[in-house]
This record gives sequence, C-alpha cells and structure tokens, in this order.
Amino acid sequence: MSGNNLSFYLSFGVVLIYAAFALFAPIIAPFDPFMISGAPLASPDATHLLGTNDLAQDIFSRLIWGTRATLFLGIVGALISVTLGTVIGIVSGYYGGMVDEIIMRFLDVVMTIPFFPLLLVLTIFFRPGIYTSAVLMGILGSIQGVRIIRSQVLSLAVADFVVATKALGARGSYIMARHILPGILPLVGVKFVFSAQHFMLIGIGLGFLGMGDPGVVDWGQMINRASQNGGVILGLWWWLFPPGLAVTFLSLALAWFGYACEDRINPRIQMMRV
Amino acid sequence: MKLTYILRRLLYSAAAFGTSVIITFFLLHLMPGDYITQYLEQIYAIAPPEVVQMYNQAYGLDRPLTEQFFTYFSGVFHGDWGYSLSYSRPVLEVISEKLFWTLVILLPATFLSIIVGIVIGAYSGWKRGSKVDLALLNGMIFLRAIPSYWLALMILLIFSYYLGIFPLGGYVSLSALDTGIDPIDVLNHAALPIFTLFLFSVTGIYYLMRNSILMTVGEDYIVTARAKGLDELTILRKHAMKNAMLPMVTSVALQCAGMITGSIFVETIFSWPGLGMLTFEALKIRDLPLLQGILLMDTLIVIIANIAADLIYPLIDPRVEVGEDVRK
Repeated sequence: MSGNNLSFYLSFGVVLIYAAFALFAPIIAPFDPFMISGAPLASPDATHLLGTNDLAQDIFSRLIWGTRATLFLGIVGALISVTLGTVIGIVSGYYGGMVDEIIMRFLDVVMTIPFFPLLLVLTIFFRPGIYTSAVLMGILGSIQGVRIIRSQVLSLAVADFVVATKALGARGSYIMARHILPGILPLVGVKFVFSAQHFMLIGIGLGFLGMGDPGVVDWGQMINRASQNGGVILGLWWWLFPPGLAVTFLSLALAWFGYACEDRINPRIQMMRV
Repeated sequence: MKLTYILRRLLYSAAAFGTSVIITFFLLHLMPGDYITQYLEQIYAIAPPEVVQMYNQAYGLDRPLTEQFFTYFSGVFHGDWGYSLSYSRPVLEVISEKLFWTLVILLPATFLSIIVGIVIGAYSGWKRGSKVDLALLNGMIFLRAIPSYWLALMILLIFSYYLGIFPLGGYVSLSALDTGIDPIDVLNHAALPIFTLFLFSVTGIYYLMRNSILMTVGEDYIVTARAKGLDELTILRKHAMKNAMLPMVTSVALQCAGMITGSIFVETIFSWPGLGMLTFEALKIRDLPLLQGILLMDTLIVIIANIAADLIYPLIDPRVEVGEDVRK
C-alpha cells in the first residue's frame, strides 16, 4: 500500500513540475521561442543550454514553451471528452429504452470509422490549430467514454436509493445530477487522467505529422523539424532528444498517476493487477 | 437469430461506410475558400483563374452540389474513388498498390504480437504476483506509455544510425534497380518497421490476455483439473488458456484501428511506402481526393476485421453460434 502511495505522489509531483514549467514559461525561458537568437545549429553552451535549431531559435526556450501546448491539448481535450462522455453516458444509461437505443446504435456506426485518420481529415477541413485540435479530439474521443460510463450507470439506475428518490417524485435531472453523478465521479476522474495522457500523445502526433498549429510551439513540431531538417542525419542529439524525452516522461508520469488513482478507487483492480 | 444478426451487422457496416463516404464528400466540397486555388498556390505558387477553372471542370467541381454527391456516392460503390491530384492516377489504384506494402509489415507484426502477447500474458496472469509477472507488467506499462513515433525514431537511430545493422529507410536497396526486387532485401528493410509495430501492439494484447487469465483462475473447472492431479502446465494450456482466448478475438479486431494509427507514424519514420506514408504525403500536399480514399480504405479495413472476428468466434468456441452477442 505504501508503494502505491509513493507512486501516486511521485507521479503527481512530476505532473506538477511540468505544469509549473508551462505556467512560468515566460520567466524560465531565456529567449522568445520564435526569435532568431544567434547562429543556427549551434551546439549547447552557456547561452543556449540545448543549442539552436536550423532557424537559429533557442531549443531550450522552445522546449519550455512547448510544455504549454502539450498540457493544453491533453487537458482541454480530456475535459471536453470526459464531460461529453459523462453527460451522454448518464442520460443514455438512466433513461434507457429508445433514447439509449438510438444513442448506442449511432455510436456503433461512428465507432467503426478509425479515430486517428478521421481526426486528420477533420483537422484539414477545419484548418490545423490548437483549439481546433483540442475540440476535435475531445468530441471524437468521447465515444469510448460514453460506453464505459453508461455501463456503470445502468447498475446505478436500478439501485434502491435511486428508485426511492424517484418514488418521492424527484425530477430526472435532479436524480442524475445529485445521485447518479456522485456515484461515478471517481471513475470519471480516472478516465480524465488517462484521456489527458492519450490526447497529449495524439496532439503531439498531429504536430509531428505537420498538422500542428503553426503559431504555437509544440513538441511534435519540434520532433518533426529535427527529424526532417537534419537533426538525425547530422547526429544533433540535443535537437531531437529533448522534446521526445519530455513527452515520454510526461506520458509515463500521467500513466502511473492514472494507475495509482485507479487502485485508490477500486482495491479490486489492484488485486487483479498484482 | 443467426441471420438477423448477420443482417444487422452488415447494416451497421454499410452505415459506417456510408457515413465516411458522406464525411469525405463534404470534406472536399464544403472546405472554406477555393480548394483548387489553394492547392495550386501551394505547389506552384501561382493559380491563374483559367487553370483553376479547367481543374474545376475536370474534377466536376463546377456542377451542382447534389449532382456531384450522387456521382461520387455511386462512383465509390463502382470502384471509382476519384482522381488523385498529386499522383495524377485514380485514387483506388494508388491506394491498392500502397495497401500491399502496408500489409507486408502489418500482418507479420499483428501475428507476432498476438502470439507473443498471448503467451507472455497467459504466463504472467498464471504466475500472478511473482517476480516475473511484476517485471513483465511494469515493463508493458512502461512500453505502452512511450509514444509510438518516439519509439520508432529511437529504434531507427539505434539500429540503423548508430549500430548500422539495418537500412535507414525505404523498402529495397538501390541495387534493386539492376537486380530486381529481392525478397531477402525487402525483409531486411521491413525488419525494423515490423519490430516497432509489434512493440506498439503487443502491450494491448498482453494486458487483455493477462486479465482474461486472471478471470479464469478462480473458476471451478480449474480447481477440478488441479484436483485430478494434472500438472500446472497442462491446466494452463488445456483449460485456462482455451477459455481465456475467447474474449481475445473481439479485442484483436478492435485493436485494428490502433494498428492503422501506428502504421501512419511507423511508415512515415521508416519511409516505408505503404498506406501510412501515403497518408502523410497526402496531408503534406493537401491532396484531398487521395485523403478521402485513404479514410474510406481505413474504414473498410476495420469493418472487415470486425466481420472476420464475428465469423471466427464460433470456430474456436462451439458453444457460440454466429450472431450471439459475445460481449454481453
């Protein structure tokens, strides 16, 4: 149990450090991330901690600023998808019948279209942008959440206390908000953490494929630039490695945090996993 | 029961395919601004109005929207998926050519990850709580959290750039120009993409198999088998695994969409000339007709994988007839 606590606080601490970098980016970063700050392709030294890229932009500053876009994509994407998934899941599971049938059959159809290619196509349609990406990921990603939430709500909706509240004449919206929602909130929380990790990786993947917001620094575009414009061929590790390692560590921290949260809300899962 | 289920399944599949046809149609036709002008300006820096008009005429973009829709809709079902701007060839022709190369790496990677994932997942679940289990589980959690594009880049750097064991990209060496395509040479080029895709998908299968085994461990028939005095390996192989395999079939089909995503990154990084790299190229030059076709093909792959899973299920579990909802 103490090991679980340790990984809970440790992983949460790492996420907080990333958040601090994102928040205080203007103070920490020595240069403007788009500014020409010296010679291009410079090696790391005291002024440029991680050297400069082919456009003579300071890589360290870009790395720090990139934290913002990464966290933004993950958190906003997760917020939208979890909110949508929860609301639709609760309504579908609580009312059942025709409403449920229509929603689920609709999702059956949409789920068959692969998520990522569809996201790429829609991103092109609405033009690449950080808000567009976050909203699109949130909407498309909510589908899976609806099913998970709904299956939980199905059992809650027939629980005695819900039936009793109904008998007292409470409105459906009241029961859903005050009695059903609290019951699934821990699950929603865990889903949020895993979604944030997932969307963060996808958001950076978009940047890597050239579908990122051209006006925003993000790690995906940094990796893309480094790998396409000579970072690999010239062996400039300080150009390619920092954004990749940054996203990998953040992703690991969020994953561990998610598992630790899951163990806390459901000791049975922990038993199953260990 | 059987027939209605199959009909319902086909109906969903058709609806899903129809939906992607509609989405892709609107993608090209409701795009803000004039698409042809943008495309030409991007490639040639200029877009003379008379050239734009000729393009619009050639692609039928000057016709009424409803007429275009019905032409496209019926065309899709007749094998006419449009005409690629950058390849100047029919979309379906380009896609089928690239699909072959995607399958060359996708199929071996999928089979490998299914076999390895099932074996180590079963072992891990059977020996739950042991050192090996914990090491495997944590290793898999670690592997799963690494973004696929970063994994692919690192594998390329280590094995091709630093160690020089495998080629840096492509699917054949330059010598193929003189000697023709040599299967061994292709295999040499395919090794790293296959390995990366394998790592990418094995974690999911491992997880499912481990969970599935954990579910069966407490069952009565396992206790009975043990009471009969069977050795552990036989119980695992003949009793636990046989039952734990069942939920896997559906899950593997669901993983199909994930593999398509993985192949976009892996092929782009290893310059493997398949559907994934084609997606990247089509995105880069905004070749929308091609992109439309790719989305349709991806949807078709997922649909086929799902139908295949439905048909395979009764073969490995005689209790289930085609059409029973196994996920309940």
